[in-house]
Amino acid sequence: MAGKYLMAAKLTEFYSQAAHEFGLAGRIKLALLTKISSEKAGAVEDSPDNIRVFEQAMQQLRTQAGG
Amino acid sequence: MLRMKISTRLILFFCGVVTLFVLLASALLAQTRTVSAGYAALLGQQVRQAEMARVTQVSFKKQVQEWKDILLRGYAPADLEKYTRQFHDEETRVRSGAVDLARAVTDATCRGLLEQFVAAHQRLSEQYQGAYDVYLGSHFDFRAADKLVRGRDREPTDLFDKVVQQLNDDVVASVAAQERAVARSRSLALILVGGLLGGLGVVGLLTVRDILRRLARLKAVSDRLAAADIDGLAIDISGPDEIGQFGESMKGVHAAIEELSSLAAAAAG
Repeated sequence: MAGKYLMAAKLTEFYSQAAHEFGLAGRIKLALLTKISSEKAGAVEDSPDNIRVFEQAMQQLRTQAGG
Repeated sequence: MLRMKISTRLILFFCGVVTLFVLLASALLAQTRTVSAGYAALLGQQVRQAEMARVTQVSFKKQVQEWKDILLRGYAPADLEKYTRQFHDEETRVRSGAVDLARAVTDATCRGLLEQFVAAHQRLSEQYQGAYDVYLGSHFDFRAADKLVRGRDREPTDLFDKVVQQLNDDVVASVAAQERAVARSRSLALILVGGLLGGLGVVGLLTVRDILRRLARLKAVSDRLAAADIDGLAIDISGPDEIGQFGESMKGVHAAIEELSSLAAAAAG
């Protein structure tokens, strides 16, 4: 626990999900879109802002993959 | 420094330069008009009055000369008629010139002198008429006639010399005042132009220096990313301008390279 948000848990989960859905390229694209690598995702807070950024990035990856 | 887009800053700077030049051109035009109006008033009023005074002064001298011609050559009927007519013509010119000038001048001293002159000239005319009558009655005895008016033209002559001098002094004073006004306007214009150009120069210099400083930081980050030197790399370039936006994109590239590196490390391990 750091501050009022959990560290790592949620954001790291996005990387696992990206790898599951889109492979290694998905992880790299997720890093590119969120500007936070998986290593750093493990060190930053699961703040609502960060979660929203990752959700939007995942949505964008899904849209690109769907298109 | 205000955080604005570089394009916005450049447009604002350009607009500032254009506005400055429009203001300068307007100020120059207004100054030219003021100077022109000042000299037009000077030429149209005071210089014209000084010229009128000189013409009247010459007419008065001619009138005195015509009197002397009457005395010298009046024994001949044709000359008497000719010089008498010319004498009265000049007399009329002097009177009307002095009266018109007294109405036109704004200088109180000058107007007072002119009123004194008109009165003295009127007295002189009466004295000339008396002497003329003696001249004719004494069968052209110019000595007897001259004795009656000798030196009587001195007072009006001196008075009118003073009028001319006063008007000339007024013109000189007005020209000096006009030159002082022009010098004041010129100094003000120079201060304004210098201030505005200086201000614009400082703003331009600060803008360029800020852009170059941020570009240098961006280039340093770009060089390290190009060399895959990402250990400890922190991209602290932000802001709403184009460089800030580019810095944000760099953060994505940085994160992607970090991700690639960690994946490569995991694959190797």
